[in-house]
Amino acid sequence: MSSPSGAPAFSAGRISKGYKSREGVGVQALERVSFEADEGKITCIVGPTGSGKSTILRIMSGLEAPDEGSVRVAGVQPSDMTGRIGYLTQRHTLLPWMKTGDNIGLPLKVRGLAREMIKNRVREIAESLALNGLLDLYPYELSGGAMQRAAIGRLLASDAGYCLLDEPFSALDEKTLHALQRLFLDIAGRSRLSVLFVTHSIDEAVFLADRIIVLSAGPGRVVETFEVDMPHPRDRISPLFGALIERVRQKIESVLRDDAAVCGADSATGGH
Amino acid sequence: MNKTGKLINYLAGRVLPGSIIPFFIVSAWWLASRTGTAVVPGIAEVMRVLLHPFEAPPELYSRSIAFSLFMTLIRFTAGFGLAIVTAVPLGLLAGQSRTAERILYPVIQMSRSINPIALMPLATVFFGLASVASVFTGEMEAWKYDLADQVQLAMIFILWWGGFFPIFLSTLNGVRSVGAPYIEMMSLAGASRVQLLKNVIFPHALPSIMHGIRMGMGITWLVLLAAEIYPGTRSGIGYMLCTACKTSDYQYTFAAMIIIALTGLLLDWTIHHFEKKTGHWQTRER
Ligand SMILES: Nc1ncnc2c1ncn2[C@@H]1O[C@H](COP(=O)(O)OP(=O)(O)O)[C@@H](O)[C@H]1O
Ligand SMILES: [Mg+2]
Repeated sequence: MSSPSGAPAFSAGRISKGYKSREGVGVQALERVSFEADEGKITCIVGPTGSGKSTILRIMSGLEAPDEGSVRVAGVQPSDMTGRIGYLTQRHTLLPWMKTGDNIGLPLKVRGLAREMIKNRVREIAESLALNGLLDLYPYELSGGAMQRAAIGRLLASDAGYCLLDEPFSALDEKTLHALQRLFLDIAGRSRLSVLFVTHSIDEAVFLADRIIVLSAGPGRVVETFEVDMPHPRDRISPLFGALIERVRQKIESVLRDDAAVCGADSATGGH
Repeated sequence: MNKTGKLINYLAGRVLPGSIIPFFIVSAWWLASRTGTAVVPGIAEVMRVLLHPFEAPPELYSRSIAFSLFMTLIRFTAGFGLAIVTAVPLGLLAGQSRTAERILYPVIQMSRSINPIALMPLATVFFGLASVASVFTGEMEAWKYDLADQVQLAMIFILWWGGFFPIFLSTLNGVRSVGAPYIEMMSLAGASRVQLLKNVIFPHALPSIMHGIRMGMGITWLVLLAAEIYPGTRSGIGYMLCTACKTSDYQYTFAAMIIIALTGLLLDWTIHHFEKKTGHWQTRER
């Protein structure tokens, strides 16, 4: 699952993106953002709400074009990667009129696989995500955690080697959250997925990532990149873990302070 | 809950409250018939007609209640069926293509304000007394010809007119309200237009289509009974209602009204059931 050219899994080269609100006021979401994410690795983008994390993923998926700069997935344009990029959006897009099992099998159905093959593959995936008994329920009948597992299940069914995840675990209680993070690490490692994972939680980034890219509050700029070479599974109470969290937090806060000084405003601390 | 409990709940929750007003109407009717005006037939008389649906009225040109209802339902199915099979595809098309919408929408908005009943004279001039029988040229058994001959094209046309617009507009609306994230998700997965239509657009629009069908059905049912009064008609519940009035056989008029009301209710319930069934996910979406 590595790109033939040896290009990074995801790369952004000085991308900028601005939006116009309805009243015509411009918002600069991203400002000359550059980074690289390696093949088969998990790269986390951390930043406060409004720092343009979702925008980066939309551009990386090919749904939107940057105003300036360019992005590559496996060395090519995202538009040349249709069906090979998995994208889990911030608000899940499980189809509410389809049973969970059919939702998971949707990418296979789109590819025209035989019904029997789809069924088997869905059963396999459900097994690995502990969704066995839930395949005949509708998404609205699932708990928040099961819904996210189903969304991940559909991502796995798509067999995309390049995955974009936008705060997939943000609305879960801590126990479910930690269980899902471990499950995700396990799956990503086993399938050698190249992952670009967006989160506002520093703890999550430090737990999952091989590389952490820190964004400033909007307009998003890359402030710092951390390489993380702690082995998995990581121990949340180890001093090393705590130290890295502290370093990332200080980086984000120092940027927030600078911004506040510039604006003369009392800006809140990032994230929730 | 067991079956009996469910039935009792249904009777107490639905049928009982829904029966209050009919009860008072029937009571008023009963009182009126006792005072002995010629116009108001007795309840027993009307019941006799309703309980012998296959008996043709002795002195009327019209046929039995059962046959009249059968004819009315055939016309309804033809006109309303045509409305569904034209409005849904056009609605799906207009919902997905700007160009199609720009062509269709203004015409449809103008047309829909023309009352179909007001169109009946024009339709009669245009189609004459042509019926479904006159469209088919091949050999036909006599009884089939007789049935087909009573389904006039003019009538089908105004029934179509009555049903088309609500279905079209609801379909359009249902397609329009599909969330962009669903469409983006499908396009990233590499789905074709047909796959998008089958898996996302149509299922999303279906409850809305059902709602339109329900609205259109109410209108079509009204239009149909008015249309059956027009010259050239020689059967149907509306025809029976009207001719019985002319010959002062009011028990048939009343029986026809009751059949019309109950059939209307039944049709509405049926579609409402499908509306809820196809839209189960709507209220609980999150
Ligand atoms: N479609 C859009 N129209 C207008 N403004 C937008 C749009 N999408 C994002 N923005 C703005 O861009 C900025 C970054 O948004 P986003 O990428 O969603 O940030 P994050 O995901 O980090 O919270 C925000 O200020 C947001 O209001
Ligand atoms: Mg976001």
